[in-house]
Amino acid sequence: MSATAAAPIKSVGALKAAPDDYQLAVRKIVRSHAVNELYGARVYDEPAIALAPTPYLKWLTCRIAMEEYGHHVRFRQLGEQMGIPESEMTPEGRKPLSIFEFPLQTWEEFCVVKLLADLAEIIQVEDLMKCSFLPLRNLAKVTMPEEIFHSQFGKDTCTELVKTGDGRKKVQAAIDHYFPMMPAFFGKKDSANNALYRKYGIKQRTNEDMRADFLKRVRDLVEGHLKLKLPEVAEAA
Amino acid sequence: MSGAARSEADAAFARLAGFTAKIPRLRWFAAVGTTLTPPVIAAAETYVAALGLAPCPVVTVGGWREAAATAQRPDWSRDWWQAEGACERALQGQAAAQFGLELLLAALTDVTEAAAGIRDRAAAALARAGLADEALAKVAAGAAAQACHQQGLALLAGDAAAPAFAAKFALFAAGRWPLGIVGGTCFVF
Repeated sequence: MSATAAAPIKSVGALKAAPDDYQLAVRKIVRSHAVNELYGARVYDEPAIALAPTPYLKWLTCRIAMEEYGHHVRFRQLGEQMGIPESEMTPEGRKPLSIFEFPLQTWEEFCVVKLLADLAEIIQVEDLMKCSFLPLRNLAKVTMPEEIFHSQFGKDTCTELVKTGDGRKKVQAAIDHYFPMMPAFFGKKDSANNALYRKYGIKQRTNEDMRADFLKRVRDLVEGHLKLKLPEVAEAA
Repeated sequence: MSGAARSEADAAFARLAGFTAKIPRLRWFAAVGTTLTPPVIAAAETYVAALGLAPCPVVTVGGWREAAATAQRPDWSRDWWQAEGACERALQGQAAAQFGLELLLAALTDVTEAAAGIRDRAAAALARAGLADEALAKVAAGAAAQACHQQGLALLAGDAAAPAFAAKFALFAAGRWPLGIVGGTCFVF
């Protein structure tokens, strides 16, 4: 069976009949999501519970951390069905993305991480919602409402924080530090992996398209909505 | 592991499995907004005393909006939150030493997964009050999941290891939401 957007692969079982490079491509995506959802929850969401300024925000952050761990569990379960070794789906077995190298120290930084990184994640998941491998498409659909909530949480909390002069300074400083790491999240220009993903309808857009979409949406948020400044960064990874 | 240690571990994990199975069946948030009964007040007093904190009045709040506002007051007790954290860390150290960290975390993951559905119960309770507030449903669910995690730890460490977490969980199991100590008062929704 050929794997294209017009002929979706409906199950993990059917994946075995797909071309080798299709199987490899899907495995890479599932593995990456499993690793990075877990690592993000560990280095950002769980430590942020201690940083949250009120019980309300601590409990909300508890729930967000649970949901991020839950995303890892869902991707890991799909990976297990596909025969990916468990050791390849944890940060101990595979190196996480560079956006997690930012050392989280303050509540304002966490709010900015949710504002920026969860928007970037939404753009990736939006693309997977048309994925030719239906188990991955279904997973994207289930995950999306929680990703949207996390990004909205970032927007809402940053909106509250910038109402004071001190909060405004802290949010701007966090954006200045964190935002330059974001463009690389979308992968290299003219990426061979991305070309393979698009060839098979696993992903729809180039890395450059997704990065450009992110930069437009984040500019609207940071400069249009929060009235802060987005630092200049090299757009090509 | 010796035979006695294995039997103790089996008993602890059986306690935890029973607790985990019970989580979806509880009356989450079913009694919020109702008058506090003497057993509820007694559980709240036990919770405060077992954390090593000074006795304080136990008071309810009238509705979800007031509960949300109470949980956002700036005068919440840092001592209360830190006392819970210290108790949690002690239990985790104790249970990890007994069973190994990997096994402990795997068992607690089951508890967390069982607690994931509490969001829907909170959203349903909000809907009964005529409210649709996704953030508040998640706040309540986060508080309840934290209580499940803490009680799970206590059960693994031994039945009587943490009376504070048992009392706190009993409040949730009675359909309430303990909002903690704010402004010198223990609020129970």
